[in-house]
Amino acid sequence: MKRFFTILFVLSLIMVMPIHAVGFPTKEVQVIIPWAAGGATDLIFRALAATTGKYLGKAVVIVNRPGGGSAVGYTEGAKAKPDGYMLTSGVTPLTILPHQVTTAYTYKDFDPIINVVSDPSMFLIRADAPWKTLKEFLDFAKKNPEMITVGNSGAGGGVHLVALAFEKAAGVKFNHIPFSGGGPSVTAILGGHINAVSVSPPEGISHVQAGKLKILALFAEKRLEMFPNVLTVKEQGIDFAMGMWRGLVTPKGTPPDVIKKLHDAFKQGMDDPVFKKNAMDMAVNLSYLGPEAFGKLMAREDEFFGKLIKEIKK
Amino acid sequence: MFESVQQLASGFTIATTFYNLFYCLIGAIVGTLIGVLPGIGPIAGIALLIPATFGLHPTSAIIMLAGIYYGAMYGGSTTSILLNVPGETASVITCIDGYQMAQKGRAGPALAICAIGSFIAGTIGLFGLVFLAPPLAEAALAFGPPEYFSLMVFGFIVLSNVTGTSLTKSLMMAIVGLIIGTIGLDPVTGDARFTFGSVSFLGGIEFVAVAIGLFGIAEVLTNVEKPLEMLEQRVIVPRLRELYPSLQDLKKSITPILRGTGIGFGVGLVPGPAPVIATYSSYMIERKISKHPEEFGKGAIEGVAGPESANNSASQSAFIPLFVLGIPFAPPTAILLGALLIHGVTPGPLLISQHPELFWGVIASMYIGNFILLILNLPFVPLFANILRIPKKILLPLIILFCITGQYTVNNSVFDIGIMLLFGALGFLMRKWAYEGAPLLLALVLGPRLEVAFRQSLMISHGDFGFFINRPISMVFLLATVLFLVIPLIRMTLKKQRRGEVKQ
Repeated sequence: MKRFFTILFVLSLIMVMPIHAVGFPTKEVQVIIPWAAGGATDLIFRALAATTGKYLGKAVVIVNRPGGGSAVGYTEGAKAKPDGYMLTSGVTPLTILPHQVTTAYTYKDFDPIINVVSDPSMFLIRADAPWKTLKEFLDFAKKNPEMITVGNSGAGGGVHLVALAFEKAAGVKFNHIPFSGGGPSVTAILGGHINAVSVSPPEGISHVQAGKLKILALFAEKRLEMFPNVLTVKEQGIDFAMGMWRGLVTPKGTPPDVIKKLHDAFKQGMDDPVFKKNAMDMAVNLSYLGPEAFGKLMAREDEFFGKLIKEIKK
Repeated sequence: MFESVQQLASGFTIATTFYNLFYCLIGAIVGTLIGVLPGIGPIAGIALLIPATFGLHPTSAIIMLAGIYYGAMYGGSTTSILLNVPGETASVITCIDGYQMAQKGRAGPALAICAIGSFIAGTIGLFGLVFLAPPLAEAALAFGPPEYFSLMVFGFIVLSNVTGTSLTKSLMMAIVGLIIGTIGLDPVTGDARFTFGSVSFLGGIEFVAVAIGLFGIAEVLTNVEKPLEMLEQRVIVPRLRELYPSLQDLKKSITPILRGTGIGFGVGLVPGPAPVIATYSSYMIERKISKHPEEFGKGAIEGVAGPESANNSASQSAFIPLFVLGIPFAPPTAILLGALLIHGVTPGPLLISQHPELFWGVIASMYIGNFILLILNLPFVPLFANILRIPKKILLPLIILFCITGQYTVNNSVFDIGIMLLFGALGFLMRKWAYEGAPLLLALVLGPRLEVAFRQSLMISHGDFGFFINRPISMVFLLATVLFLVIPLIRMTLKKQRRGEVKQ
C-alpha cells in the first residue's frame, strides 16, 4: 500500500512537471511558418532548425501554414498552448497586417524569443537606366511626380510600405505598381516594364552581381559587405533606414525559463558554422537580438507601420 | 551550338556517376508517388525532402529534387484517369477523356499513352532547353503587364468553351469562376474582399480544393445515386493485351503528342499558370482539328495524349527562366530556387558560367530521369488498372478518404477540406444539370491574374487604355481574340446568305 502511494506520488510529480521547465523539452518543438514552403523565411528557419536540434536535445520541426497573407499561420500560432512546443516565425508582416485588416492577433499576443535575420531594403534600377545617382533619380521624381514606376512584391506588403515611407522621407511621389511576389517584380524590371523596384535581399541580388541591375538606394545603417562601394541613403543625406526582420516568437504566457532554454538553443544553432555558411550562401544578413531587444524592435516597428498605414488610408 | 553539345556530354558524365543515378532514381520514384496521390503535389514533396539534401553535393541534390518535379507530372494523370480525381492542376483536363476511357475498360491504354507522351515531350523539351535556353529566357522578359493581360484575355475567351458543349453554360461557369477568384486580399489596395470577416478566406480559394471537389467528390456522389446493383457490379476486366495501347492508338496519338509538346514548351516560358493554359489549349486544339470531334468527352485518346504531353514539356521549359534568369515562374520552380540557395548556388544570369557542372549535370540527369520514369511507369499500368476491379462500394469511400487526406496535405488546412466538400456538392448539382467544371476552374486560375495585369497596366499608363494596343505583342493577342469571336459570326452569316440564295 505504501508502495502504491509512492508510485502515485511520483506520478503526480511527473504530471506537475511540465509546468516547470525542468524536463523541457520532452518532445519535438514545432515552428509555424505562415507562408508556403520555399520562401525566404521558410528556407532560413529550415536551415536553423537543422542546426538547433542538437543543442535543444529534441528535433525542431517546420510546419507551413500559408494563407490569408500570413494571417492564418499567426492566428494559429497565437492560439497555441504557451508551453514552448509551438513557436511561430515572427517576421515584419506580424506588425503590418493587423493594421490593415481585422486579425485575431497582434504582435502583443506573442512573447519574443530571438531575432535571427535583418535584411536592409533597397531600390534596384536597370543598369542602363537614365539615372546614374540617387540624386538624379530624386530630382527627376520631384519634377515629375507620380511618373516613376516603382514595383513591389505585393500591395501593403513590407517592401511596398518601405517604398511609401521612403517617398515621404525624400519628399517625392512615385507610381507604385504591386506584383504578386518578389520574383515577378524583378522580372518586370529586367524586361523594362517598370523604372525601379523595391526589394529585400536575396531578391534581385544575382542580377546586380551580373551587372544587369544596380542598387540605386540602400536603406541600411551601414554598407553591405557584398557591395562595399554602394552608399547607404543615410550617407547621401536622407535619414532613412528600413528592412525586414525575421525571428521567433511564442504565444504570450510561455514560462520565462522555457523561453530562456529556447533562446539559448536557437542562439547556439545560429552560431553553428553550418548554419552560418548556409546563411551566407543565401545572402541573408544575420542579426542576433535577445528576447528583450527583439521585443522592443517589434514594438517600434508596430508603431511605425500603424502610423504609416493610417496615413495611406486617409 | 557545338559547345552546347560538348558541355552536354560532360553533363552526362556527371549525371551517370553511381551517386547521381541513384538520386535521380529516388527523385523519379518519389515524384511518381507524389503525382499519384491526390492533393499532395510536387511543392510539398520537394519542401519535405530539402532538409534531407543538406549533406549532399548541390548537383546531386538538385538532380533529385528536379526529379520529384517532373516525376510528379508523370504520375499526376493516374488518379484523373482511374478515379476522376485530378491530382495536380495540370491534370484537370485529363479527367475529361481519361476517365471516360477507363469507364470503357481502356484505363491501360490511357495510362500508357500518358507515360509515352510525357517521355516524348520531355525528350523534345530537353533539346529546347539545351539549345534555346538563353534567347528564350530573354524573349520571356518581353511579357510585361499589358502583354500578360492580353494573353489572359485570349486564353479566357478561347479556352472557356474547352469541351465544346453549350457555350452559354460554359460562359456562365467561367463567370462563376471569376467571381470566386475575387475572394481574398485585393491585389492592389490590400483590402479584404468577400471574406465575411474570416481569416481563412484572406488567401483566396485554393484551386486544388475546388478541382478535387468538382471532379472527384462530385463523381463519387453521382455514383452513390445509382442503383445498388450497379455499385456492386464489377468493372469489365481487360485482358493483358488490351492493357497497352494498340498500334492504332499510337498512330492516333503521335501528332497530338507532338503538338502538345510544342504548345507546352511555349506556354511554359510565360510566367503564371502554364500547366493549366498548356493543357486546356492542347485539348481545345485537338478537339477543333479532329475529324471526329464528337468522340471528345467520351473517351478520345487524343484528348489524353495531347494535354499530358503539353504539361510535361511545360514543366521542362519552366526550368529555363529558373536557370537563366534565376526567377521562378511557377511555384514548384520557386521551391527549387530555394533549394539552390540553400546549397550555396545563386540561380541567375551567372549560374551557367559559374556552375556549369550543375547546370549541365542536371540537364543530362533530366534526360536519364525521363527514361527511368518511362520504364518505371509502364509496368505499373496493369497494377493501377487493377484498382478498378475493386467493387465500387469499397472503392468510393476510399476515394473520399484519399481526397480528404490528400487535400489536407496541400496546406495542412481543415478549412480547405470544407471548401473541397462544398464544391463536391456543387459539382454534383452541376452534373445533374449538365454544367461543366472545366471553365470554372480555368476562370478561377486566370481571373485573379487577369485582374492584376489589367490594373498594373492601367497604373503604369496612368489610365490610358491605348497602352494595350500600342504594344505589338499585346495587340497581336487582342487581335487574335477579336478574330476568334468574329470569324464564326461571319461564317454563319455567309452560310445563311448562301442558303437564302439557294431558296430563291
